[in-house]
Amino acid sequence: MSLTEYTGRKRVRIGALALVVLIVGGAGLTVRSGIALDRLFTAGFATRSVEMATPIALAAIGGLYAEKSGVFNIGLEGFMIFGAFSAAASMYALGGTSPTQGQVWLAVAVSAVISTLITVAFAVLLIRYEADQIVAGLAVWFIGLGFAPFTAAIIWGSRSSPGLASVNSVAFGQSPFVILTVLIVLASWVVLYRTRYGYWVQAAGENPEALDTAGVDVTRVRYATVIFSGAMAGLGGAVLLAHAGNFVGIGDTMVEGRGWIGIVAYLFGNYNPIGAAGAALLFGALDMLNVQFQTVGIEVSARLVNLLPYVAVIIVLSAWGKTRMPSSVGESYESED
Amino acid sequence: MSGDDDGLRGALDRAAAYMLDATVLERIGIAIASTALALCIGLLIVAAAGHNPLLFANQLVIGSFGSERAVARTLTFSVLFVLAGIAVAIAFRAGVFNIGVQGQFIVGGFATVASIVSLAPYLPDGTVGGIVLMLVGTLAAVVAGGLYAALPGVLKAYGDANEIITTIMLNFIAIGFVGWLVAGRFSDPEATATRTERLPDNVGFPSVVFDDPNLSIVGIGATIAVVALIAVIMTRTSFGYDMVTSGHQESAATYSGVDAKRMIVSTMTLSGMVAGLTGAIFAIMIQGYFTDPSGIGNYGFDAIAVSLLAANNPVGVVPAGLLFGGLESAGSHIQINSDVPVQLIDGIVGLVVLFVAVPELFRMMAQRTGLGGDRE
Repeated sequence: MSLTEYTGRKRVRIGALALVVLIVGGAGLTVRSGIALDRLFTAGFATRSVEMATPIALAAIGGLYAEKSGVFNIGLEGFMIFGAFSAAASMYALGGTSPTQGQVWLAVAVSAVISTLITVAFAVLLIRYEADQIVAGLAVWFIGLGFAPFTAAIIWGSRSSPGLASVNSVAFGQSPFVILTVLIVLASWVVLYRTRYGYWVQAAGENPEALDTAGVDVTRVRYATVIFSGAMAGLGGAVLLAHAGNFVGIGDTMVEGRGWIGIVAYLFGNYNPIGAAGAALLFGALDMLNVQFQTVGIEVSARLVNLLPYVAVIIVLSAWGKTRMPSSVGESYESED
Repeated sequence: MSGDDDGLRGALDRAAAYMLDATVLERIGIAIASTALALCIGLLIVAAAGHNPLLFANQLVIGSFGSERAVARTLTFSVLFVLAGIAVAIAFRAGVFNIGVQGQFIVGGFATVASIVSLAPYLPDGTVGGIVLMLVGTLAAVVAGGLYAALPGVLKAYGDANEIITTIMLNFIAIGFVGWLVAGRFSDPEATATRTERLPDNVGFPSVVFDDPNLSIVGIGATIAVVALIAVIMTRTSFGYDMVTSGHQESAATYSGVDAKRMIVSTMTLSGMVAGLTGAIFAIMIQGYFTDPSGIGNYGFDAIAVSLLAANNPVGVVPAGLLFGGLESAGSHIQINSDVPVQLIDGIVGLVVLFVAVPELFRMMAQRTGLGGDRE
């Protein structure tokens, strides 16, 4: 075992230990303050956590594919804003302030299509015009932060939408989009690790020259993954909106960093779709802890509890930062012929 | 000290590499073309939204330079954009992506107000007391901003944590935590809005040239001094040289005895110190108290665009900062005098950043149209 590998593993252990200490410590505190844990960790909490995790998981799956193929799509957060906003706008266009369930579904679909189209333009800039991936990705975020509230203000006269409609839950009180997300996660795992196409994606990131030699167009693979990543992030934003039922465009918008957390989720999951979804679940649960604290009556400022996911992201990144990144990430590839 | 083209270790280096490749003229050309293209798209959107684009363009000019008040407002915002832009440029130049200038700015500004408000009862009321308070407040901001940036620096250097993500998370944390303090422990019980107590009367910069209470010659002077200082550090000292080389040619820097990890931490700290200073000037010169940071302008974010437009050159940050000061100032004018939602300006800023990221686009456009034949 090399030294870097050793320190890497040690860091993982330290990180895991820190998380465990955090959880046990938190649990201990709650028990000592006389609050039963079973009141804190309820079935409703599980449902809400899963629901909150789905947008993060969707964005993470998309980002994972793009990065596996060698393109760092740092614009996930921006695409989520586009997705959430265009879902709200199309829901409003279809059914005003009281859209039907069918219109909610249609709006989510329209939003995914719009996000895909925007991502096509982004992919062209990134791959054809060799845009700087970091700066262009940040730009997508800034554009979303500007134009989504701008268009909202034109449509609704305010940066946020009026109440629209949220999707009805199906079996076990779960949103149908949760089930859809589970299916997408499983499918993307199968495609990535069990199909020829998945190997192309991995090869485009690890060894593009070899893939090129084998007669596969690296550029086309990368176009496909980048467009997929934007579509997934957009769908994630649309699902976030379909769960919330209205668009919020003040401050960092309703997406509030979930796209960035999505990036961390797939890093934490070591580029494995199922691992990424698991990490998303952790962040979703932390996000919903606030509601639990309130119902149980723990007197902590909601504003501080809301910061927990961000703190967890920093801990996770520092402990797991050294993930096995595909070796050609960030380099544009030009075929010799 | 221009870097070679080799040694691209992934996306992080790529940003800086093309900046160093491009000739100065080309960089200026790209900056102007990016801004012009973004503004044109903005005007098209105004037209598409059913407003008169010419009227809007006219309001942009009036709002930024049309009157003495507008000029003073533009300069006030420019002070913030230039300083925050310098903070970003320090880090980006060294290959470290400090996206957390906004958070460091907030933490710094709050540290200024908190330290001045807590110390004021123990100091005399006069000018001397005021100067001492301002010095202490500014120092507190520089230290707080520096430390708040050093943390992601340490996590990157020793924990391999991607600084882009950690600094963005720290922005959210700064907004939430300072917001909690402003609404709680430090809130002014007599104020209707959520804010801290006012700074005492003897704290504040004199306004000499302009009548505008928010613009002081001290703020402008401090900005020019910081620009000069950072420009000298980056181009004339061994520290600056090591900083830039370790960012772009890590192996070369390591070979010449530079500790790359410590360099990352130093870079982030210096960048955060300038961001903190920006916060101090914002608190003392403009606000006079501290409000909920979720409502404060995105100076630290727009500063990323400022720095990129200037190709991360500290001197170039000055014209870029003036441009953004003008845009922001026009934004305040538009908010009152136009039906076009002011968020358009944020969108245009995003487009500027996008176009700056794609110099290749302009090179191809230049080739097609036969312009700029002197490239490379």
